[in-house]
Amino acid sequence: MTFGDSLPFMRCVAMTQRKRPSSTQSSSQRRHTGNLVAQDEDDDATFTQPSTSQVQRGLEKLTPAQVDQKTAEVVQYFLVKDQKKMPVRRADLVKHVVKDYRNIYPEILKRAARTFDQVFGLKLVEIDPKNKMYILVNNLETPDKASPVRSPSNPKMGLLLAILSVIFMKGGVVRENLIWNTLRKLRVDPGEKHEEFGDVRKMVTDEFVRQRYLEYVRIPHTEPIEHEFRWGQRADAEVSKAKILEFMGELHEQDPKTWTQQYRQAHSLPNSSQASTSSSSQR
Amino acid sequence: MCLWLNFEKNCVATLGICTNKTSSILTTEAVNRPFLYPVSKTCFRSRTSARVKMKRSKGGGDEEAPRHNGSAGRRKADQQQSDGDEGGSDIGPADLQDDDNDQGLRREIRSKYRDLISSVQQNREDMLSPSNNKLTEVLEEANKLFKDVRQAREAALDAQLLVVATDLGKEKASQLFSEGTAFDPTAFAEHLLSFMGLNRLEDDEDEQQNTANGYLPQDAWHRLARRAECCFRTAPSFHYMMGSFYAEPPPPKQRIERQRKAPSKEAKRIMPTQLKKMEESQQEATEKEVERILGYLKSYYQDDPTSPISYYEFVIDPSSFSRTVENIFHTSFLIRDGLARMYLDEEKLPCIGEMILLCPSQELIDAFDIKDSIIRPPNTQND
Repeated sequence: MTFGDSLPFMRCVAMTQRKRPSSTQSSSQRRHTGNLVAQDEDDDATFTQPSTSQVQRGLEKLTPAQVDQKTAEVVQYFLVKDQKKMPVRRADLVKHVVKDYRNIYPEILKRAARTFDQVFGLKLVEIDPKNKMYILVNNLETPDKASPVRSPSNPKMGLLLAILSVIFMKGGVVRENLIWNTLRKLRVDPGEKHEEFGDVRKMVTDEFVRQRYLEYVRIPHTEPIEHEFRWGQRADAEVSKAKILEFMGELHEQDPKTWTQQYRQAHSLPNSSQASTSSSSQR
Repeated sequence: MCLWLNFEKNCVATLGICTNKTSSILTTEAVNRPFLYPVSKTCFRSRTSARVKMKRSKGGGDEEAPRHNGSAGRRKADQQQSDGDEGGSDIGPADLQDDDNDQGLRREIRSKYRDLISSVQQNREDMLSPSNNKLTEVLEEANKLFKDVRQAREAALDAQLLVVATDLGKEKASQLFSEGTAFDPTAFAEHLLSFMGLNRLEDDEDEQQNTANGYLPQDAWHRLARRAECCFRTAPSFHYMMGSFYAEPPPPKQRIERQRKAPSKEAKRIMPTQLKKMEESQQEATEKEVERILGYLKSYYQDDPTSPISYYEFVIDPSSFSRTVENIFHTSFLIRDGLARMYLDEEKLPCIGEMILLCPSQELIDAFDIKDSIIRPPNTQND
């Protein structure tokens, strides 16, 4: 067998299969929601985005009070859904809240986004353009040190920070075993019940994934089945890579700039957190 | 194998590695002569045909029999500096001899290969650390073993070892690739533990021991969570300040109702026999009380026969209103039975005294000139 002739071809094949540490900005747009809960798209499929003229006509038939009322209901729905940090699907929103007002849906969503911004200091973010999912993100600047408000902290966020840090510092994708081993070194064994977190494996692979903090994707052709972890869409919107790098610098007592690749990645965009813009233009 | 040696010496070799389960392709531009090592069971030929091919390609460069490709390629790379095209090295001698020893030897080889494979898999993180050459040692060990490999079965194990090793090599390469400092999750975990307030025990014998020494404080994860708040732009959760109300009735009430129902049913069944006893005992209790109060009255009179006893002082219990009422009730029996008498003293305050003679109640009625009862009996109130 001679491989000499086909070498350029083989090299091309090898290069496409080579896994570069992908910048999460480009990959977020072609992200597949492979491992996520199967979504009922029936309602969404029947919902067609009304055109601007349709919206105008719809608005003319309603009183301002009615539109305000509907907007307020949408705002409340989001706020309550956000308690568990689960993303909101457009289909659910239309089915449960908007209902008969679906012909002016874009206008309602625009007003709701404005309310979130002006009243609550929150940003309505569309994290999944394909499946139309939304989350709420804090629009205010994060404090440098701990927040002055002494609200009870959620220890899960500490664990999440550890996991996200490892993934980021390792280039954006890690095999699941690396995460499990790191957690074991932190006295958190995914095989055992932890006194603070309970079923750790379920929390990391199910809860964090459904909240879109993490992505847990199967690696093809592995036997036994292995998965890899990446940052989820919510993490992309909420978490600041620059601040994580700062934290790394504090822990290791090094200048964050010594991690040149990660530093470049963290500071390559105008905002350190790569949030997709609010939903007024995208639906 | 010069490829791996380059790693340990920290030279940056441009290399592209593609690994998947069925084929691993190593190309190295440093050697400037790509050699391919398709690893799959179907590529392995029998000994004889492979040897024939080896002889054919002895002088050549790139064409090599698949089976011996690995060893020849490896040895070729080893001799890279000294000889250029030393093609297929000596596989020839002493192949087919000693079939009896073969079986034992083969088993030994296979077992050693399996040990190597498991050692790479178990100590993966250890081998990844840039501070040691363990991966090279494993490969050198594999090279030695491969010299004795004659059959496809052992060669398949060799191939499996190479798949695992190249996977590790790829990760090591990616560590090299990153400019700047590498990131070590183990060190990160250690620093995190310190940040969370781990109280280490005094004696650290050797740092490599890595056993759990020290304990984490209760709020360890909360400390980290607080630090996380600075990195996250989480929307604060919306909750009603005073909480919400529950729409369903709370379960405990239902349980209490059920408990009460059960004993009452039993009580009904045995009531006919018990009721008489209760009534009797009630009457007895009243009588006893009345007698007790008569006793008090008598004792007061014995102490001081002349001074009158104020009625209020007699019946009132300053600590309990209900007992006061009971006292009044029982005293009224004394008066009804004529064992005591009530009268007004000089200041028109009611006093209670003993009756020496049993008087019918008619006397009291006459004495007080009671014509009509002030408290209307119940049946007349509904008029």
